[in-house]
Amino acid sequence: MIDFDQIDKLIHEKGRLSIMTLLSTRGEWAFQDLKAELGMSDGNLITHLRTLGTAGYLKETRDESGTRPRTSYQLTAAGRKAFKEYIEVLGEIVKAAQQT
Amino acid sequence: MSTTDAALENLRIIRSLMEKAHIYRAVSAPAALAGGVLALAASIWPVVYAQSHHGDAVMGETTFLIVWLAILGVASVLNVILLAKEAARRAVPFVSEGMRMALRAFAPPMLVGGCVGIGLIVFLHNLTLAALIWILCYGLALLGTASFSPRSLVRLGWAFVIVGLLLFFVWAANHEVRLLASDLAPASLAMGLTFGLLHVAYAMAVFLSPKAKEDEPR
Repeated sequence: MIDFDQIDKLIHEKGRLSIMTLLSTRGEWAFQDLKAELGMSDGNLITHLRTLGTAGYLKETRDESGTRPRTSYQLTAAGRKAFKEYIEVLGEIVKAAQQT
Repeated sequence: MSTTDAALENLRIIRSLMEKAHIYRAVSAPAALAGGVLALAASIWPVVYAQSHHGDAVMGETTFLIVWLAILGVASVLNVILLAKEAARRAVPFVSEGMRMALRAFAPPMLVGGCVGIGLIVFLHNLTLAALIWILCYGLALLGTASFSPRSLVRLGWAFVIVGLLLFFVWAANHEVRLLASDLAPASLAMGLTFGLLHVAYAMAVFLSPKAKEDEPR
C-alpha cells in the first residue's frame, strides 16, 4: 500500500518539478538557460529557485568575473536523492493503479 | 485530477524535459551555411565550364578531391569553433555526452564513405560515384544521430539520403552521362545540389524557426 504522504510536496509542483528535472540532466544550469528552457518569468523562476534552495535541494553559484554577472544552479546531493525518491514514488503510484 | 493522473502527468513532464535537455545539434546552422555557400561556389564553376566548353573538365580528379577536402576542413573547423562557443555560453563541457554520442554515430558512416569515396577517385577515377557515396554516407551519419538531434537535422539526413538515391538512379540509368569523357560536371552538380543547396536550406530553416518548436524531440 502506497503512503501518499511519501510524495515530496516541494517537488510535486509543475514549476519546481521542471527545474529539478533540468538540473538533474547535467551539472550546472545558468539562470538565463533555465528561463529560456522553461519559459517562466524572472519572478516566478526566482521564487521556485529560492524555495528549492531553502530546502537544500540546489546550490547557487555566482560568477562575476565576466562583463555580466552570471548565476547558475546545480542540484545538491540531498536534491538529487529527493528527486530520485520522488520519481520512485511516482512509479509506484502508476504501478499500483495498473494492478487495480 | 486523481493521484494517478497527477503522477502520470508529472512523469510525462519529466520525460519530455529530459529529452529536450539531451538534444544535441552536431551541425551548427552558421557552419552549415558557410559550408553550403562554399560547396555551391565550388560546384557551379565546373558545371558552367563544362556547359560552355562541350563537356570539358575545368580541373583534374586530384584537384576535385583537394577542393572538396578543403571545404570539408573549413566547414568542420568552423563547426567545432561554433560548438565550443555554444558549450561555453551554456557552461557545459565542450566534449559533452551529446558530442560523444554524436561522434559515435557519425564516425562509422563517415569513415566508410570518406575512404570509399577517395578510393573511387584515386584508383577508379569515378568522381560521380564518389560524390554519391559521400552524399549517402553523410545522410546516414546524420540519421545515426536521430535519437538526440533536433528535427531539422534529422530532416537534413533524410534529404541527403533521398536526393542521393534519386541522383544515383538518374546517373545509373543514364549511360550518356556515365560515358562522358570527364564526369567532373555531374559529380559537381550532385555535390552542389546536396552539400550546397541542402545545407543552405537547413541553415535557413534553423534561422527562421522558433527555438522552442525546433528543439522539440521527434
